[in-house]
Amino acid sequence: MLEVDKDRARHAVQPQHAFLVTLKVNGEEHRLNVDARTTLLDALRDRLHLTGTKKGCGLGQCGACTIIVDGRRVVSCLTLAVMNQGKEITTIEGLANGALHPVQQAFIEHDAFQCGYCTPGQIMSAVGLIQEGRTRSDDEIRENMSGNLCRCGAYTNIVDAIKDAIAHGLDPREAMTQAVEAIAQDAGREA
Amino acid sequence: MRYFQPATLDEALAIRRGNDVVPLAGATDVYPARAGRRAWGDPTHKDVLDLSRIEALRGIEDRGDHVRIGALATWTDLIRADLPPLFDGMKRAAREVGGVQVQNRGTVVGNACTASPAGDGIPNLLALDAAFEIEGPSPRLVPAEAFFTGYRATACGPHDIVAAIRIPKREGRGHFVKLGARRYLVISIAMVAAALETDAAGRIVSARIAVGACSAAAGRLPLLEAALPGAPLTDAPALVEPRHLAHLTPIDDIRASAGYRMAAALALVGDALADLSRPAARVA
Repeated sequence: MLEVDKDRARHAVQPQHAFLVTLKVNGEEHRLNVDARTTLLDALRDRLHLTGTKKGCGLGQCGACTIIVDGRRVVSCLTLAVMNQGKEITTIEGLANGALHPVQQAFIEHDAFQCGYCTPGQIMSAVGLIQEGRTRSDDEIRENMSGNLCRCGAYTNIVDAIKDAIAHGLDPREAMTQAVEAIAQDAGREA
Repeated sequence: MRYFQPATLDEALAIRRGNDVVPLAGATDVYPARAGRRAWGDPTHKDVLDLSRIEALRGIEDRGDHVRIGALATWTDLIRADLPPLFDGMKRAAREVGGVQVQNRGTVVGNACTASPAGDGIPNLLALDAAFEIEGPSPRLVPAEAFFTGYRATACGPHDIVAAIRIPKREGRGHFVKLGARRYLVISIAMVAAALETDAAGRIVSARIAVGACSAAAGRLPLLEAALPGAPLTDAPALVEPRHLAHLTPIDDIRASAGYRMAAALALVGDALADLSRPAARVA
C-alpha cells in the first residue's frame, strides 16, 4: 500500500487537521502536506508557486482562479486541496506547448484584455467552454462565460477571441486533447 | 478544525452520529459562508464531513416512476441529464446558479440543505413535489414542503445525511423565472418555479407554483394552485391576483425592499405562466 493510500485509509474515519495529498498538476505529481482548510488555489500559488492562476475575490464570484479539473472548469478558490487528491489538474501554465495554445494566441490577437489580471481565468474558462461545445452564438458564449468578470470591460474582444479560436482550426473536441498533449510532451521533455 | 473524508455512507453516518460536523459535498457555499463569519480558524466552526469521496452518492438516475438526484450530483450533471419537460424549470435554475465553474462543482442537494431563502433550486423542488431521502438513526422520506422548515433550517437532523432527492415523474412542463440585479451571476431578488399539466384542449389540469426569496423559506401558492385548474392556460397570467401571494413575508435588504420583492414576485408568477402558454422552447 502506498504511503498516501495508507494515510487515506486512516483518515477515512479518523479526522485530521492536515493531510498528505498528491496533486497532479499539468502532468506532474506533487506531494504536499496541507492543512485541511487550504484551498486548491492557495496550494497552487503558495506551495507550488504556480502563480499564473490569480486570486481575485476568493468567494467564487470573479472566475480569476478558473482551472480545469478532470476535464471540467472549476473555480479553484472554492475547492479544497484535499478534495482534489489524484485528479488531473490543468492550469494556465500547462496550456502552451512551445507555441501558445490557440486560445492564448487569439486573446493576444484580439486584444482581449487590458490589465490582464482576469486573463488566465478567462482563457482557462474559454478552453473549457470550447470543449463543452456551447458556443453556437455570441449570446451562448456570453452566458457560458458569465462566471468570469473583467473589470476593464474587455468582454467584446473576449467573445471575438473565442470565436476566432474556434474558427481558426481549434476543433471544440480537440481543445482539451491539445492541452493534455502539450502537458504530456512537456512532461516528456523534463523526464 | 478537524476534517473527515469517509469513503462510504455508513462511515459518514457513524461520523455524523459521534461528532458535531457540517457535511460538505461540492464545497461551493461552505467557504464563502465561513469567510463571512471570520477566518476559518474561528473556534466556533464545526468540524467538516467531506462526502465527496462517497461514490454511491453520485449521479442522476431514472427509476421509472421517479428521478433520483444523488447527494453529489452537480448542477452540470442536471443540465446534461436527459430528462422530460417537467424538469425544464429545474434545468433553467441550474443554469442560473453561479457561473459554469460553480455549476461544475455545486450540488443540487447541497443547495437544498443550505436552505437559503434565495436558493435557486428550492422553489423547483417544491413545485415538483420532491422528496428527500434522509439517512440516519431513523431513515425516512420527507416531502419538500416538510423539509424546508424555516430560514436556513431543514428537517435534516444533526445525525442525518440527505442521500438523495426523488422527483416523481408526471405529465406536464416545468418552468423557472428569476429576477436579479443583472442577468447572470447574481443572487435572486425573487423567483418563481411552476409545474403545469394541461389537457388536449389547453386547459389546466393541475398547477404547482412556488415562490422563493420572498419569505424565510420558499413556499407554494395554494390559493393560486386551487384557482387555476379548468382555466385555459392562455388565460392563466390574468388570473393571478395579489391575494394569492398575501401569505408571503418578503424582507427589506441590500438587494431589494419588501414592497419591490412582492411586486416582482407577482409579475414573475404571471411571466412564468405566460412563458408556459407559449410553445415549448426547450432549454439546455
